[in-house]
Amino acid sequence: MRIFFAILTAGLASSFVMGTPVLANKGLEIATEVIQRDEGWGDTSSKMTMILKDKYGQSTQRSLRNKSLEGSMEGDKSLVIFDTPGDVRGTAFLSHTKKTGSDDQWLYLPALKRVKRIASSNKAGPFMGSEFSFEDIASQEIEKYTYKYLSDEKYNGVDCFVVEYDPVDRKSGYSIQKTWIDQSKYIVLKTEYYDRKKSLLKTLTFDGYKKYDGKFWRADTFLMINHQTGKETELQYENWVFGTGLSEKDFNKSTLKKVK
Amino acid sequence: MKIIFGVLVFIGVMLAQLVVADGNFNTKLIAEFRSYPNSNPGTIDSGQSLELNIDAYKDFGTARGVIELVARIDDQDSGRRILDARQAYIGGEIGGFEIYVGNRQEFWGKAESTNIVDVVNQRDGAADQGGAGKLGAPSLSVERYTEYGDLQVWYMPNFQELTFNDSNAHPSGGLPIKPARYQRSEGKNADDLAFRFSSVVDDWDLAGSLFYGTVRNPILSVVDIGTALEPYYPKQKSLGLEAQYTGDATLLKWESLHGSQDNKNFFAAVAGLEYTLYGLLDQVWDLGLLVEAQHDERPQAAAKRIYVAGLRLTLNDAKDTSLLFLTSQDEDWDQSLISFEASRRLNSWSSIDVGAKFFDAKTPTSAFGSLDDDDTISIKLNMFF
Repeated sequence: MRIFFAILTAGLASSFVMGTPVLANKGLEIATEVIQRDEGWGDTSSKMTMILKDKYGQSTQRSLRNKSLEGSMEGDKSLVIFDTPGDVRGTAFLSHTKKTGSDDQWLYLPALKRVKRIASSNKAGPFMGSEFSFEDIASQEIEKYTYKYLSDEKYNGVDCFVVEYDPVDRKSGYSIQKTWIDQSKYIVLKTEYYDRKKSLLKTLTFDGYKKYDGKFWRADTFLMINHQTGKETELQYENWVFGTGLSEKDFNKSTLKKVK
Repeated sequence: MKIIFGVLVFIGVMLAQLVVADGNFNTKLIAEFRSYPNSNPGTIDSGQSLELNIDAYKDFGTARGVIELVARIDDQDSGRRILDARQAYIGGEIGGFEIYVGNRQEFWGKAESTNIVDVVNQRDGAADQGGAGKLGAPSLSVERYTEYGDLQVWYMPNFQELTFNDSNAHPSGGLPIKPARYQRSEGKNADDLAFRFSSVVDDWDLAGSLFYGTVRNPILSVVDIGTALEPYYPKQKSLGLEAQYTGDATLLKWESLHGSQDNKNFFAAVAGLEYTLYGLLDQVWDLGLLVEAQHDERPQAAAKRIYVAGLRLTLNDAKDTSLLFLTSQDEDWDQSLISFEASRRLNSWSSIDVGAKFFDAKTPTSAFGSLDDDDTISIKLNMFF
């Protein structure tokens, strides 16, 4: 079974952990602003429906619940609980993001009541058979990329900065990512992913942004289109709740077996 | 008759689900067909079973009640028929301690081919060809989570015996099972105690445990002039150690058990290595390579040393297709077991598992030698409601 990384808060648009950036270029400056505007979200929970479509338009669905906790000294922690399909019901996935190095990840298998630590180097691999790879939805860190401002461009009538994100990690499945960032709200509206051969692989678009707690923007819909296979995956979020009172204890590997 | 009963239970459960209808009540139905291509005359050559799993919980303030029932009917093998509360407990937090009363299921261990430190529950040995199925452990248990690690204390006042297949079913030694004998005079009512402390230190998951009680896996002896098998449950005192190192694509695993059983000292250990190749053949496939070595000085072990090698192919497709191939071999190259498992989702409410197991032994009196007619091919349809 393919288990996936926590869909943390809102992908690229959030949950970057602040480094100590030297604002050497405009790209880094913009990426840092995106992160800083989303700091202080504390903890969240949400529900998610994942819709997988193959190139013939046939679709399958999964439903899951996400919980996450913002890290201060360490990276963010997240927990994902699978509700459907039936064969993965009750499976839970815990991830402790590290600012540097590999994340710590555990999987809870309800039939065996077994909590299993799993290797996390497979960042380029797909999760749950979808078009999202582990790295697409993992908690982001400013140190994970270098940045290059490309241009100003309108996207869907919105003034955007176009910034190139170059992954530092060689295990990344991408050569570069091109990102369209709303110039007034500093939220990501679109990302293009280029494979290692520098051809366009996937496009992710964000839709239905809403503001929570007067500060934190979260999108309702993430649509990832794979141009090379013709497959699509849509993530539909609902019930975003901030400040649910979650604590470190809820993201412990031993409490994973109590998750329902 | 039993099948009709099973269907009625199932309908009852479905109605109960409609009444509760808050998502805290789940059912799973497993239909299984097994074929024994190498069965001896006088033994069954195929079997069918239907298993119902009910899983429900309810919160009462900060306390939670959990129930997990398993009911299985089998057309041929009475050993596989079972009704058990794998879990039926109330749990809650009092002053930083989690306290549980009732039947619980717990997993201890790190390895893949066997888990010698997993001492809490009895196994449902007759199901799944001796696979991972467990029986509930009637217990009082306390857990505490600290910043250094997690502590568990278990008191188990009651003992469940290992389940066996019928003597004409598979796998079996071909002899009827006599009532069990116990080293401890209190028999099934002797008290068992277990402790465990587990911790995470960077890339290492570590645990240590103590056990004092009746061993779960009995010693089987041929008795009554070779016409029956008698299970004997000795007392065991043991110290268990577990470690797992998690690297980028490499996992190193260790389990060991030092102690005494039947007043004789023993040592048992499992060491393992797992390595995963990601993105095989330019696809999104992953191939896991697995090697484990088992050492066990207790008379229950099929051999003192067993080596296991396996391959796990995960296709990472929308149907979660996976294949597992395992082979085990004792150190004298006398006994071997080859097994194959494949699983795939069919739709949102069902999945299918196909499995095969082949035993082989040069010495007919060896553990696997007595299983030489127990080769099994099985197909399981899992349905979720």
